[in-house]
Amino acid sequence: MKYVSFVLALAVLVIAPFFGEIAVHIEEIFNPESSSSMLFWEIRFPRVIVAFCSGAILSLAGLVFQSVFRNPLTTPFTLGVASGATLGTALAIVFLGGLLFWQYALSFIGALLTVIVLFLLSRSLKSAQTLSLLLVGIALSFFYSAALMVLYYLSDFEQSYSIVRFTMGSLNVVGFDTAYPIVIASLLFLSAIHWQRKPLRLLLTSLDFAFLKGLHVTRLVMSLLLITSMAVAVCVSVVGPIGFVGLIVPHIIKLLYRRSSDTLIFPTFFYGGIFLVACDLIARNLGAASDIPIGVVTSFLGGPFFIYLILHRHKGSR
Amino acid sequence: MLHVADLTCQILKNVGFTLREGENVTILGNNGSGKTTLARALCHLIPSESVFWEGKKIGEIAHHLRSQTINYVPTSLEVYDEYLSVTDYLDLNFFESSNPQMREEILRVLEIEHLRHSPCQSLSSGESSLLLIAGAILHRAKYTILDEPTANLDQAKKVKIYRLLKSGSYFQNKIIITHDLNLAYKLGYDVLYLEEGGVRFFGPCGDFFDPTHLESCFGNAVQNIGGNFVVNYDEVR
Repeated sequence: MKYVSFVLALAVLVIAPFFGEIAVHIEEIFNPESSSSMLFWEIRFPRVIVAFCSGAILSLAGLVFQSVFRNPLTTPFTLGVASGATLGTALAIVFLGGLLFWQYALSFIGALLTVIVLFLLSRSLKSAQTLSLLLVGIALSFFYSAALMVLYYLSDFEQSYSIVRFTMGSLNVVGFDTAYPIVIASLLFLSAIHWQRKPLRLLLTSLDFAFLKGLHVTRLVMSLLLITSMAVAVCVSVVGPIGFVGLIVPHIIKLLYRRSSDTLIFPTFFYGGIFLVACDLIARNLGAASDIPIGVVTSFLGGPFFIYLILHRHKGSR
Repeated sequence: MLHVADLTCQILKNVGFTLREGENVTILGNNGSGKTTLARALCHLIPSESVFWEGKKIGEIAHHLRSQTINYVPTSLEVYDEYLSVTDYLDLNFFESSNPQMREEILRVLEIEHLRHSPCQSLSSGESSLLLIAGAILHRAKYTILDEPTANLDQAKKVKIYRLLKSGSYFQNKIIITHDLNLAYKLGYDVLYLEEGGVRFFGPCGDFFDPTHLESCFGNAVQNIGGNFVVNYDEVR
């Protein structure tokens, strides 16, 4: 089962750049003169890389947050990090003429500011009150939504459309320049979490147990939170808030592997990436005039599959 | 030496006592008298400035040293991850690399070898208690606080845990919280009796179980029948 899914996943990864509105001819991709070559190396290939890295970051971020907050519904999105990034982008669209650079910059700043606010607030909360932090995150999300409404109100028609389009998430990238930051972020993120897998396993028992084993629980929780949010901030600033991936992929991996979360870091990262590549493949090939927003595909595909897995699991345990 | 100086936190009021190396203690007291609160303060799960080990505040000792000094075994097992197995849990109790031989030895002593691969979340409350005790044995802290270790166990297992505590080779210094007066009596450790957050009695086991003193604490709810202390269900008020 695991080998089959691994081979399938690799197959998806390999064929993904060749399918799209315009077919890429495999024999022409190494011929620098051809249009196929340009399409492949400038558009398709970077796009698949960005899709893979985004899916991987979002999924692993979901796994880490679910472990740290000990709540299966938690993702960085629940903490308002994505909303912060969205608000930043919307600000750039309305007030800075929608320059791409400012969109990236403000969205990153929005996510980072949210993390810093959470970080400062969490220091005035006693020790590791993760539930309180989660509630603060939800409150922040509502605050950002309200601010976004104000921006809609202030913006003209075209700006509103840009904001809406960004909130749907998009993997439209051109060239490798936009891909580099997200590739680097995903690799750094993966190594950091892999390095912390032992303390992470202690967190999977109880916070008291981890403390009694000599773990500096608050420090670990805060550093995991910060690392994860930074990776998510990079991701959101490039592709927008693609929800649902971070929520369902860790659960799907857990149900398939049936192992403790600390041993699922690599599978979650890898299949999270594959999941988004597959969703993007569908988004690119179903739409006639333009791509279907990626968030729509992730939810349409992931939702029913997720429900199927949950029902299936309950049948199995009976 | 573990020293508590005038500890006042949550419901605890001016609790003070000293435990020297090699001394064990049984903490008794009614529901809500502060036994668990005291235990959690001792190991700094509830931060306080009044608990000292070798003259240093427990909160100022490096985390890993504190962990090797004092450990607390709660009444119930809490494991968040649904796939974490008994073996995984036990291995987390070792400070450095895990020692499979020792782990297997403890599993055999407590007769839970058959649960080796079961997820912790699937255990019964009695099995969970045994797993908690097994983990604490592997943890090897200087002081181990066991919070009602026998409350969920069947009769034979109660005897097993009693013998294990008595043998002296599994734990260094023990702090036992219990409602089982007979267990406290048979262990023979010094007794710390809490009442409404304060220390009402701290002294040798024999003095605590002196008939007049016992009656002043429990009325006629407890009876001594042939050297065993049993609950008097026919107590007439």
